[in-house]
Amino acid sequence: MKGLVKPLWRTVFLVLGMVAAGRPALAQTVDEIIKRGKVIVGVNTTTPIFGLMGKDGEPEGYDPDVARLVGKYLGVPVEFVSVTGANRIPNLLSGRVDMVIALFGITPERALQVSFSIPYASEAATLVAPESRKVKTIDDLKGLRVGVPRGAMQDLILTPVAQSKSINLMRFDDEATGLQAMVSGQIDLVGTGLLVNRTLNRNDPGKNYEVKVVLRELHFGIGVRRGQSDLLQWLNTFIYAIKNNGELDAISRKWRELPLGDLPVF
Amino acid sequence: MTYVFQFGAVWREFDQLLLGAWLTVRLSAMAMVLGLAVGILCAVGKTSSSRAVRGLIQGYVEAIRNTPFLVQLLLVYLGLPSLGLRLTPDQAALLAMVVNLGAYATEIVRAGIEAVPHGQLEAGRALGLKPWHIFRFIVLMPALRTISPALGSQFILIMLASSVVSVISAEELTAVADTIVARNFRSFEFYLTITAMYLGLSLVFQATFALIDRALFSRWSDRR
Repeated sequence: MKGLVKPLWRTVFLVLGMVAAGRPALAQTVDEIIKRGKVIVGVNTTTPIFGLMGKDGEPEGYDPDVARLVGKYLGVPVEFVSVTGANRIPNLLSGRVDMVIALFGITPERALQVSFSIPYASEAATLVAPESRKVKTIDDLKGLRVGVPRGAMQDLILTPVAQSKSINLMRFDDEATGLQAMVSGQIDLVGTGLLVNRTLNRNDPGKNYEVKVVLRELHFGIGVRRGQSDLLQWLNTFIYAIKNNGELDAISRKWRELPLGDLPVF
Repeated sequence: MTYVFQFGAVWREFDQLLLGAWLTVRLSAMAMVLGLAVGILCAVGKTSSSRAVRGLIQGYVEAIRNTPFLVQLLLVYLGLPSLGLRLTPDQAALLAMVVNLGAYATEIVRAGIEAVPHGQLEAGRALGLKPWHIFRFIVLMPALRTISPALGSQFILIMLASSVVSVISAEELTAVADTIVARNFRSFEFYLTITAMYLGLSLVFQATFALIDRALFSRWSDRR
């Protein structure tokens, strides 16, 4: 029975994947990408600084700039696909994108599904609120509405403790909606990064948004499908090179307004 | 491509999926009742002699029917607080669904009312029925019977549309599945499962509509 059912599911899935991808062949290797003549990169365009939709309709930010460097060194144009925190892995696994460069925090759980390159950026999972909100640690969150991007690191850290600490945890499909909910006063704190409070203060002046709690240091890697070892090896080499030649530092200074700093390798 | 399906992951979290489905059912059922009420009110309003009332209702119907539900939802949740109305995600989702369904229901009910032959109204008046009785027995009930298939499919559409309210953090079926998938990454298993659950919900709702139909309209059917 099992032997009968599994191939059937695989066929169903393969057909679904093909329909979703709109193309029959997945690019598994560097050569296949070059042969196809374009590299398809998933980026998140709802995360200020790391990825936003620019005025010209092209993604801009730290991640899209890294993606453009990928294209530069592969010698092919970049095709962007917008992904969210929640659908990054499905987009990868179904072959809609060759790689995901979208604030993809490196965790062992995620690494069961996808392979990560060495880190190309660092951030922290934080909670941000207006200055007037008196919060110093997770223990001060009792009864407060905390908005987090669904499935992001802030969600994963707070979910196990939300009930015992009576945190009203609210999950939004993307970071932008959560930030907007913060501005609208629908939530008390928003789970985000180290730098987003700058954007908030620019767009909603007078409240003095600041980082209240640093939940965890994070490092972002480029995500590829497991088994794309040829591509993964190329990406690691690529990241080593742009760290060494200053191009990644320039991107960091441009978007984070901070030098790159030390990034771990593995 | 090699992908090993692990439906055991779905079973372990099935109680949470059921909780999400329960919110989907509650939101949808309330939106159907309230949306139909809005639709009947507005459809009757459209027969009003006041041009202002008719124009207002037409404006509402056109504005809603020609804009995306997602945008309406975001406006209710993120926009209304600036007017002083702060709704929880569930309340905002329900309001947006009622407003959306109400506009479609208005047009459907209006079509049903217009389908009532004028002669029947005159017959009612000739028999000396009160206006309320004429409306209830000669206009509304036959109209509802005429439009019940169209209304039923619109109801199903709003139930399916409820899957987007996860963007404002309402924890209905799709949101619950997305949250679990973010933890265990068994996306295909969960999306296939909730596809089946939505299909099941649609069938249950349709069966319920058929029962209500029979209870309400059996004595209105042509017995000749």
